[in-house]
Amino acid sequence: MTDDLDMLAAEYALGLLEGEERAEAHALFESDESFRRRVGAWTGRLAPLLDEAEPQAPPAELWSKIERRIAPPPAASNVVVLRRKLSLWRGYAAAATALAASLALFLVTRPEPAPPRAEAPMVAMMEAAGSGAKLVATYDAASRSLVVAPAAGITRVAGHSHELWAIPADGKPRPMGIVRPGAPQRMDVPPEMAPAFAGGVTLALSVEPEGGSPTGQPTGPVIASGRLART
Amino acid sequence: MDFPAGARTASDESRRLAGTLAEVARGDSAAMADLYARTSAKLFGICLRVLGNRSEAEEALQETYVAVWRNAAAFDAARASPITWLAIVSRNKAIDRLRSRRPAQGLEAAAEVADDRALASELIEDEQERGRLTTCIEELEERQRDAIRSAFLDGATYSDLAERDGVPLGTMKSWIRRGLLRLRGCLER
Repeated sequence: MTDDLDMLAAEYALGLLEGEERAEAHALFESDESFRRRVGAWTGRLAPLLDEAEPQAPPAELWSKIERRIAPPPAASNVVVLRRKLSLWRGYAAAATALAASLALFLVTRPEPAPPRAEAPMVAMMEAAGSGAKLVATYDAASRSLVVAPAAGITRVAGHSHELWAIPADGKPRPMGIVRPGAPQRMDVPPEMAPAFAGGVTLALSVEPEGGSPTGQPTGPVIASGRLART
Repeated sequence: MDFPAGARTASDESRRLAGTLAEVARGDSAAMADLYARTSAKLFGICLRVLGNRSEAEEALQETYVAVWRNAAAFDAARASPITWLAIVSRNKAIDRLRSRRPAQGLEAAAEVADDRALASELIEDEQERGRLTTCIEELEERQRDAIRSAFLDGATYSDLAERDGVPLGTMKSWIRRGLLRLRGCLER
């Protein structure tokens, strides 16, 4: 296994992979620090091959082109980026809320028990620095249903699963289930967890061995997290 | 897995470059101009070697320095020498450009070789291994050596190499994997 992973790191560093294999290695590179280190080590190992390229002076005008591209951006740009990010999040949130609403509708149209009063769902935007993964989770307290919608950056990796955790105030992660890449999915929150959810738990997604953590606690890197809050 | 800090004896030039890069990381554009003056010929040579075309190489060189400017703060001079990092960034930018010229193979074809920031912080160089690479590469079978160099310098993928040599993909993969294992064994000796 160690050898396999190290070979995959070498293949990724060399750029030999294509298609799904490359996507899997890339997902691992994004999510797994030990894999990143292996890629870093292989890249460093192979770097001397670049010494065979003969130095050549670039054309004189090239520096001014670079200088223009690295000029300090206007002070407002950070705000613009944040604003764009926020509107993107709103888009994800709207989609997830609509989905939760349709699931709630499905629940309330069942003949019994009597439909609970609809309440605005709680929402968590999940992401993490250094990871491309984004998810939107919505929780409907009345039906105790949690809908998790992967929005970006969650790729299937052979031999790995993405597991969702709920972390209440006591700080101890509770396993919620495996999140499949792509489609949104609904999870039932057990009744004993409902009060914690209503108070606003933190949700986290970690990379685990196929089928989920063998220990009942997260063992792999957390690639996205966010706190469930009322909208 | 442990990575030895290495018995890297940083040359004066390497130390100077590390100092310049630290200034670049703080957003000092004069330091950036200095960095460019001292390293652009080497990096342009690499872009030209990979792309074999001047105007493409000029584009890749621009992208290289923009990425260096943005990610200088993530680079760890204790793990690798600045010139190695710069060389790798230019190689990656040139390979990205090479790949983008190919007919699209879906979304992933547009994906970059590796994330610039992550690589800046994870690049590791072992000075003892560095000295042995030439010898160890020479110890490989010719087709293995050839394939590894072609992947790194010409952006060849497994399927390119299999097609070029007229062998099944699986055969090419096991040749190269055997070569990589041998290379690692030799370097760690």
